[in-house]
Amino acid sequence: MLPDGTIKASHLWKRFRADRRFSQLRYEMKHLQARLRGASDGDWRWALKDVDLEVSPGEAIGFLGSNGSGKSTLLKVLCRVMQPHSGSLEVAGRVGALIEVVAGIHPDLSGRENAFLYGTLLGLSRQDIAKRFDDIVEFSEVGSAIDRQVKFYSSGMKMRLGFSVAAFLEPDVLLVDEVLAVGDAAFQQKCLERMRTVLHDGTTLVFVSHDLAAMEATCTRAIWLREGVVELEGPIRPLLGAYRRSIEETAGTNFHENERAHVHEIKTAGPDGGSARTNELLNITLRLEVQEAEAQSAVYFGLSEGAATPIFVLRHEINLGVGETTITCTTPQLPLPHGRYYLWMSVTDKNNEDLIPWHPATPVDVTGNFLDPAPQAVVRLSPVYVTAQWTETDGT
Amino acid sequence: MSIKAPESHYSGPVTDAVNQSGSVVEGVWTRTVRPADTPPPELRYRPKRNLVVALRELWHDRHMIRSLAEREMRARYKQTFLGIAWAVITPFLLMIVFTLFFKRAMRVDTQGVAYPLFAYLGLMPWSFFSTSVSQGSVSLIANVPLLNKVYCPREVFPLGSIVLAVVDTTIAFSALIVLFLIEGTAPKGSAVYAPLYLPMLFAFTVGTVLIMSSVMVYLRDLRTTLPLALQLGLFATPIAYSINSVPENLRTLYVAVNPLVTVIDGLRQTVLFDEAPNWDYFAISSATSLTVLVFGYWLFKRLEGGIADVA
Repeated sequence: MLPDGTIKASHLWKRFRADRRFSQLRYEMKHLQARLRGASDGDWRWALKDVDLEVSPGEAIGFLGSNGSGKSTLLKVLCRVMQPHSGSLEVAGRVGALIEVVAGIHPDLSGRENAFLYGTLLGLSRQDIAKRFDDIVEFSEVGSAIDRQVKFYSSGMKMRLGFSVAAFLEPDVLLVDEVLAVGDAAFQQKCLERMRTVLHDGTTLVFVSHDLAAMEATCTRAIWLREGVVELEGPIRPLLGAYRRSIEETAGTNFHENERAHVHEIKTAGPDGGSARTNELLNITLRLEVQEAEAQSAVYFGLSEGAATPIFVLRHEINLGVGETTITCTTPQLPLPHGRYYLWMSVTDKNNEDLIPWHPATPVDVTGNFLDPAPQAVVRLSPVYVTAQWTETDGT
Repeated sequence: MSIKAPESHYSGPVTDAVNQSGSVVEGVWTRTVRPADTPPPELRYRPKRNLVVALRELWHDRHMIRSLAEREMRARYKQTFLGIAWAVITPFLLMIVFTLFFKRAMRVDTQGVAYPLFAYLGLMPWSFFSTSVSQGSVSLIANVPLLNKVYCPREVFPLGSIVLAVVDTTIAFSALIVLFLIEGTAPKGSAVYAPLYLPMLFAFTVGTVLIMSSVMVYLRDLRTTLPLALQLGLFATPIAYSINSVPENLRTLYVAVNPLVTVIDGLRQTVLFDEAPNWDYFAISSATSLTVLVFGYWLFKRLEGGIADVA
């Protein structure tokens, strides 16, 4: 017997039907027959290929990957909603899922009735729910509306209610899928808070989100799925770095230049022309050629960790003459900690139309100081390095 | 924190592993062997279909069945003026219809027993069966969003529908008592045998519901054909008529195919006619019911694994 909260999966394979065209009776009959015989037929698409996963009790692991990479399928297999095609799987202890859960909510019943019924379906006993009922209501922020029929709830209230019931499951393994899509900013913060409490109590956490900052804050380890295959597995920070870089590369290949402008060269340099350093000077040099004079254009530079959302943006207005122009931008103090970043850029004309669209132009490796770690489950939006002087005085 | 390699086809801990796209990654495990196109057959996942384990799990989660039944019950009478009272009113209205309209309308040989009683006693088991089947068969489909998100023994959904039908039938039973009072008769002494027919009725109903609900997930055509089949079943079951209207040489086959015949005929024999059960029919129909139950459960367990895939 594995200790509660352990996940041990090896060689997991899962497939789905690829040919959804036929759904006639004779086809379905064939499929049904095949199922009963345990044989395979037809076209299949593999959603998970040979996935290994080991999570020890109390650990927080994140699943990374683009849409359709198999994250949710893996989560469904882990909580036994779906059976794997091949492989073996052991999940010890009670599994709870914090997922988009409007599903169990019956619109005709009141919030109270729903909380009880949904709670029992999740595996809680009535006494358990009664014990936690006040917490659930408080967490969901529905207040006095708890005795109103759920169909009169706003969609946000509905989601929060379902979510709150699930949040008080107190399982050994908690699966969390895209919770941060639920509710407003305040509620998201509350969810993260809750996850932190749960982690603190020794629950194993499996976290799926496209919010990389939240994942970095919550998880210690991650696996990166690409087309159902584990691309990489390891500690969260380097893994997120690798993942962000891959996003960057994809974004780079999608870039198409138009005929009005052309970038000849873009480069960055730190002090003495070397690599960029934390809190020191950074030079960005852009060599640009335009076909016609472009008055009142604007040049944008941005530094990002991977995605198209930069940590900061620099903008400069310029009248571009025909031919080549060299633009140099200098920041005296680069506020970024050690790591790999990407320089994004774009150039727009006076009508705010793109001469060069927003795209990652070149990687920027910053050496120097590392960022101080944040408490677990506290989301830092972007890594900005701030120098600080600390003093301690003994109170006498 | 130290990371250990899960399997031999991973390399590491590495300081400069190169991922597929060629970038350098620090401290991360990467696969050195790409997976094959299909899994080796010996790795095929075999769900454990252990009857004892499955039943124990079902017993552990029995409160879910209750919750589901309660949910449907509450939802059914929400926003109605009379509320839960409808659960009682409906069977009584039906009972009144039986007394007033069928009093002289039908000419069936009921051997001196009041026709309303005769017919109502036949209708009760049938209603139980048909509501169970019509509600239970769609129970999985209707709860697909839930099935896709939350794990619980899948049987709880069809069984919840049956529990609801049990509640309805119990209330209908009280209407039967009133009907006896109206007709001024009492159940005969042999009515003590009547409960013997309940296990048979349950087994047949549960088995049928398990079959229908699981097959319907894959074969949605059933959704349209099943109500028609139930309509036919209403005529293929001696509710308005007596088993005596069936040719004698066909009766054995009739009871073997449709255990409800035995249930209804048996209830009438014991409650109304003061006769002992027909043990031959009893044995035959019990065998059928048990077969349907066992097959139904086997089929359900066989098909439940793929519900989330196709639904």
